[in-house]
Amino acid sequence: MATILKADNLEKTYRVGKVDVPALRGVSLAVQEGEFVGIMGPSGCGKSTMLHLLGGLLTPTKGRIVIDGEDLTAATDAKRTDIRRRKIGFVFQRFNLFPTLTAEGNLRLAERIHGNGADDPDRRREILRMLRLQDKMHHKPLELSGGEQQRVALARAVVNRPALVLADEPTGNLDSENSEIVLKMFRELNNRFNQTIIMITHNPEAAAACQRIIQMRDGHIV
Amino acid sequence: MLFTGLAHGMSEDLQKRSSNVRAELIFTRPGSIGLTSSSANLSTKYVELLQKIEGVESVTPVIRYFYPSGSFGVDQVEGVDWAGFSQMNNIRLIQGHAPTTPDEIVIDETKAARNHPVGSTLKVFGPNLYRVAGIYAPESGARVKMTLKALQDALEAPDKCTFIFVKVKNPSEQLIVAKRIDEAFPGNKIQPTRELFASIETSIPGLSVFMRVLVGLAAIVSALVVMLAMHTTITERTREIGILKAMGASRAYIIGEIEREALLISFLGLIVGFILAALAGFGIHKATGLIFQFGGWWALTAGLIGLIGGALGAFYPAARAANLDPVTALSYE
Repeated sequence: MATILKADNLEKTYRVGKVDVPALRGVSLAVQEGEFVGIMGPSGCGKSTMLHLLGGLLTPTKGRIVIDGEDLTAATDAKRTDIRRRKIGFVFQRFNLFPTLTAEGNLRLAERIHGNGADDPDRRREILRMLRLQDKMHHKPLELSGGEQQRVALARAVVNRPALVLADEPTGNLDSENSEIVLKMFRELNNRFNQTIIMITHNPEAAAACQRIIQMRDGHIV
Repeated sequence: MLFTGLAHGMSEDLQKRSSNVRAELIFTRPGSIGLTSSSANLSTKYVELLQKIEGVESVTPVIRYFYPSGSFGVDQVEGVDWAGFSQMNNIRLIQGHAPTTPDEIVIDETKAARNHPVGSTLKVFGPNLYRVAGIYAPESGARVKMTLKALQDALEAPDKCTFIFVKVKNPSEQLIVAKRIDEAFPGNKIQPTRELFASIETSIPGLSVFMRVLVGLAAIVSALVVMLAMHTTITERTREIGILKAMGASRAYIIGEIEREALLISFLGLIVGFILAALAGFGIHKATGLIFQFGGWWALTAGLIGLIGGALGAFYPAARAANLDPVTALSYE
């Protein structure tokens, strides 16, 4: 299996007023293609910072990140955006769907941003069917349950076939029943499409769905 | 659109009415005719004297008086010797008869259309009511005319007028005749009517500058309104912009989306603005008689200004949104 993500000695320090606050203190990580990795750890341990660094939303103070052969840390802001567009899909705790667009509209927006004639109704239908959303395509987020919204968010993240899906506590806002459904979808995506997933979670039951668990504490992988 | 439409409409209307004057020359005292004022300081004795000048076919005195109109602005009334005035300017009565008594007036068709039929009474100026004796066409000068004597008496200016129209026998010799008049009666003012009425708009000092300033202000205001609207919209949608950035939307994409939205808002605003301006113009015309002209050129100019103003106004908020830090934007509440 190819290495889809490689992070070397990542450090991130935030400047708060005149004080330097280290969030990551030399983290190294490698994720293989098709892996489903969970990152766990207490609040403030640097999980979200690491996810944002891996997704190119933040730049590390030190270290190197390579995603699918492309060096994220050496890239300009525009290039990082381009890598994010082509290779990464995000799933957030708060779903972050566009409330004025339907489920299908949210997916089409992702396709439009991806560009290169990415409008692929068959792929859209396949994803929505797999996530059991085919009868919700024309519903707006407020007409969907939390679990359904998160499944739409998941569909949006994977519709353009990203190399990597980064999920930030995707079950954090869901009840146990919907959490189970969403986790099942993650597993199915991973199994069926060999989708590489890195998921931050506090929930041991969610972590149990992952093939590998990374524990973090005080900015380190332990 | 409304203000420029009114300004154009009024000046076009004035020019149209003035262009129906058939006299080639106008004889007056210097400074006695203004845009919104006039004085009856010219003796009617000049009528006989002018008639004797070589090349003059006919002359007719006119007294023009501006008065505050019932709604807003000023209106005007003319006192004329109807027989001479109508013959010189090819004006005919289409209903009723010419004014003969001090309380009789004739009005043009536009005025008559505002529910003033022959036989009705009309308040012109002062407390007196005047009876509509007839309706004339084509419209020329003031819409309301009464006898010269009646207006002289009302203004306590016996044997006075504001100007005298002079029709020459051979129009191609009007300048020669004007020179003769000038030499015969120095200190007065003799002017070809074609120059006087060539362009009311250009002859009103500062009107074109005023219009440009108005248009410039409209452009600035529209840009500021769009900027404020887009700034508010973007602040409210900071989180959504963060999501777009997380999805890989480039700066150009975000700016493009916001500009498209701004242009759509501006376009809709233009449509609504045009409709409201047309309705307001129609309402003002109905209520006050002021003419509103919905000019194609001005509509195009206003449209371009609105769209360009909108696009420019949205650019700063768009650029600001495109430069938002995605993590900060995603955590925006």
